[in-house]
Amino acid sequence: MFLWFSHIWFVVRWSVSQILSLTICLILFKSIGYSQNKETLYDFTDIPQSLMLNPGAEVRYKYHIGIPFLSQISISAGMRGASLYDVFADDDEESDINNKIENTLNKLTNNDYLSITQQVELVNFGWRSKKNNQVYFSGGAYQELDAIGYFPKDFAALAYQGNQDLVNQVFRFSSIAGSVELLAVYHFGYTKKVNKKIILGARAKLYSSMFHVRSAKNKGFFTTQEIPNRNNIYQHIISNADITIRTSGYRALRDIEERGADRTDEGVDQLIGRGLLGGNLGLGVDLGGTFKIDPHLSITGSINDLGVIFYTKDVETYRLRGNYVFEGFDTPIQFSGEAPQNFLDELEEATSIDVEDNSYLVMRPLKLNGSFRYSFNKYKVDSCECYIKGEQPPFLDAFGAQLFMKFRPKRPQYAMSLFYYKRFFSFLRTKLTYTFDDYSYYNLGFVVSTHINKINFYISANNLIDYGNLAKARGISVQLGFNVIM
Amino acid sequence: MYKLFFSKIITNSLFFSSGICLLLQFVGCVKDIDFDQINDVELAPVFDVNFVYAKFDTDVFHQNSTVFVPEVVVKDTMSYDLLGIDFAVKHLEKVELTFEFENTIERDFEFDFGFLNSEGERVGPTYTMIAKQGNGRSTVPVTTIKQITMSGGVIDEVEFATKLVSSLRIHNVTGSLQGVFQLRSKGSYYINYKL
Repeated sequence: MFLWFSHIWFVVRWSVSQILSLTICLILFKSIGYSQNKETLYDFTDIPQSLMLNPGAEVRYKYHIGIPFLSQISISAGMRGASLYDVFADDDEESDINNKIENTLNKLTNNDYLSITQQVELVNFGWRSKKNNQVYFSGGAYQELDAIGYFPKDFAALAYQGNQDLVNQVFRFSSIAGSVELLAVYHFGYTKKVNKKIILGARAKLYSSMFHVRSAKNKGFFTTQEIPNRNNIYQHIISNADITIRTSGYRALRDIEERGADRTDEGVDQLIGRGLLGGNLGLGVDLGGTFKIDPHLSITGSINDLGVIFYTKDVETYRLRGNYVFEGFDTPIQFSGEAPQNFLDELEEATSIDVEDNSYLVMRPLKLNGSFRYSFNKYKVDSCECYIKGEQPPFLDAFGAQLFMKFRPKRPQYAMSLFYYKRFFSFLRTKLTYTFDDYSYYNLGFVVSTHINKINFYISANNLIDYGNLAKARGISVQLGFNVIM
Repeated sequence: MYKLFFSKIITNSLFFSSGICLLLQFVGCVKDIDFDQINDVELAPVFDVNFVYAKFDTDVFHQNSTVFVPEVVVKDTMSYDLLGIDFAVKHLEKVELTFEFENTIERDFEFDFGFLNSEGERVGPTYTMIAKQGNGRSTVPVTTIKQITMSGGVIDEVEFATKLVSSLRIHNVTGSLQGVFQLRSKGSYYINYKL
C-alpha cells in the first residue's frame, strides 16, 4: 500500500526538495530579484554592455575591451508571491513558523515562482570598422546560470498537510514545472548605423550547455476521492499521468559523485570542458535596432536569444506515464473468485518510470525589449570628449519607458519601466528606473557609470527601496563591471 | 607605458570593488529575520490510504443448502509493504487503521489480521475484531466501526513486514443464512518530519 504511495511521494518529495533548494539559494544570495531584466542597462548606451541587450544600440566610441572576468558580473533573483520575511519574520513568537509557512502556502499559487539568473562575462571586446566608420563589431563570451522553479502548490500542500483534509481535491501534475541551465555563450555582433535615423544590429551566438534540467507541460492528476457505495472508503486515482524530466549533463556528474566524494575536481573539469565547446551545442541570434524619429525622440527594440540548443550528449530523460486506481486490498481473495491480486506488479506496470536517452532540443528563453526615449539638453559642440568627431554630441538628459518580456516554461514574464537618464559632468552617467513587474509595483533601479581616463566602471541595482531590509524584497538584481572605452 | 595603464586599471578596480562591497554591506541589509526558526519547522502531514476491503454475499456461495457447518474460515495472504520507503520508516509517528463493517447476515464475523516478514514469520501483534451480526437480507445493515492505533514499538516491529495475512471466521453456518457482509477500511499515516 505504501509502496503505491511512493509514486506520489516521489513527486511530493521532489516538489519539496525543489522548494527547499531554491529557498536555500535565495538565502545564500541574501536577497531575491529578477529574471534577467536589466532595465537599468537597456539603452544605456554609454557602456558596451548595452550592445548585449540590443545589438542595434547606438555606439559612440571607437573600441572597447572589458576587463576579463570583470566586465560584467550580474546576479538577479526573484520570487513572485512571497518574500523571506513572510516566513522568517522575527516577530517574537507572535506566530509560529509553521503557521507562517501555512499562511504563505495558502497565499502562493501555481503561477508563483523563484527565478535566479547569474552571468559573468569572460571577455567582451569591440571595435569600429576601419573600412566603414558606421559599422561596429563586438564579440566575447560569457557564462550563464538560469534557473526557474514554479511553485508546485498542489503537491506542496499535499506534502505539508497530507491528503486527509484534502480528500476530493485534484493535485495536478501540470503544477510541476521548472528548468535549470548552466551554459557558456560565445558571440559576435555587427552594428551598423544605416543612416542618421536608423541603427540596426545582429549578434550570432554559439551556446555550449554544461548542465540542463527541465520539466514542463506535465499532464494528469492525482486525487483521493470519497465515493459512496464503492468497494472501499476511497479511490486513489492517478489519471493520465505524463510527467517528464529531461536532463543533460546530469548522468556523468552523478556517476562521478557515486564514485567518491573526492572527485569534485573531476566534475569541475568536466563542466569546464563542456563550457569550452565540449558540451551540447546550440545556435542563436540577437536582433535589434534603434530608430530616431527626430533628434530628440527615438524608439528601440530587440530580440535576445532567438535560438535553440540541441541536447545529444549525456542525455537522460525520466518519464512517468499511466493511469491507476487503488481501492485497497481485496480480501479474502477467495470471495471475489479472481486471481490473487499482485498489486505491486500492477502498479509498476501501470505507472512505470521510464529512463530514456533520446536527444532533444529546447528553445532558449526568448527575451524581448523595447523602449522609447525623449532626449534633451544637448552638450555644446566640442564641450566634451564624449563622442566621435563629426557626430552630434550627446544629450545630458532623457526620459522614457521600456518594456521587457521573457518567455518561461509556463508563461511569459513581463516588466514595464519608466526611466530618467542624466549625465553629470563628462565622467558620470546615471539612470533611474521605476519598474512594474511580477515581483513588485514599487521597484526603483539605479545605474552609475564612471568614465575616467578611458576606464569605465558601472554598477547597477534595482529594488533600492528594499535595501533597507532585503528580506522583504521580492526581487533584486545587481550588475557591475569594468571596461576600457575609447 | 602599458604597465602604468594596467596598474591604473587594477588600482581603480580594487578601489571601486572595495567601495561597492562596503556600500552593499552598509546599504543592503537583512533585518527582522530569524533564520534559526528553520529548526522549528515541522511537517506533520496525514495521509489516508485505503486498506483491506471485502464483500461476502450469501447468494454467491450457497443455495439453501441444509448442511450445517460449525465454522467457516477463509484465509488470505497479500503482498504488503507498509513501510516501503525509508523516509516513512524514519518519520512515521503512528498509523490509525479504521475498519467499517456492515452486516445483514445473522451471524457475527470474526476478522483478524497480522503481518509476515520476508521469511514468512509473524511480526508484530495480531489484531482481532468482531463485526456484529445483522438482521437478515433487506434489513438495515448493522454497522461496526473499529479503530486500531499502531505506534512506537509496534511500528518498529512491523517495519520489515512484507506480507499481510488476514482471516474471516463465521460460526454455525446454515443454508438459511441470507444477507451481505461488507468490510471497508483505511489507514491514516501520521508523518512527523522536523527539518
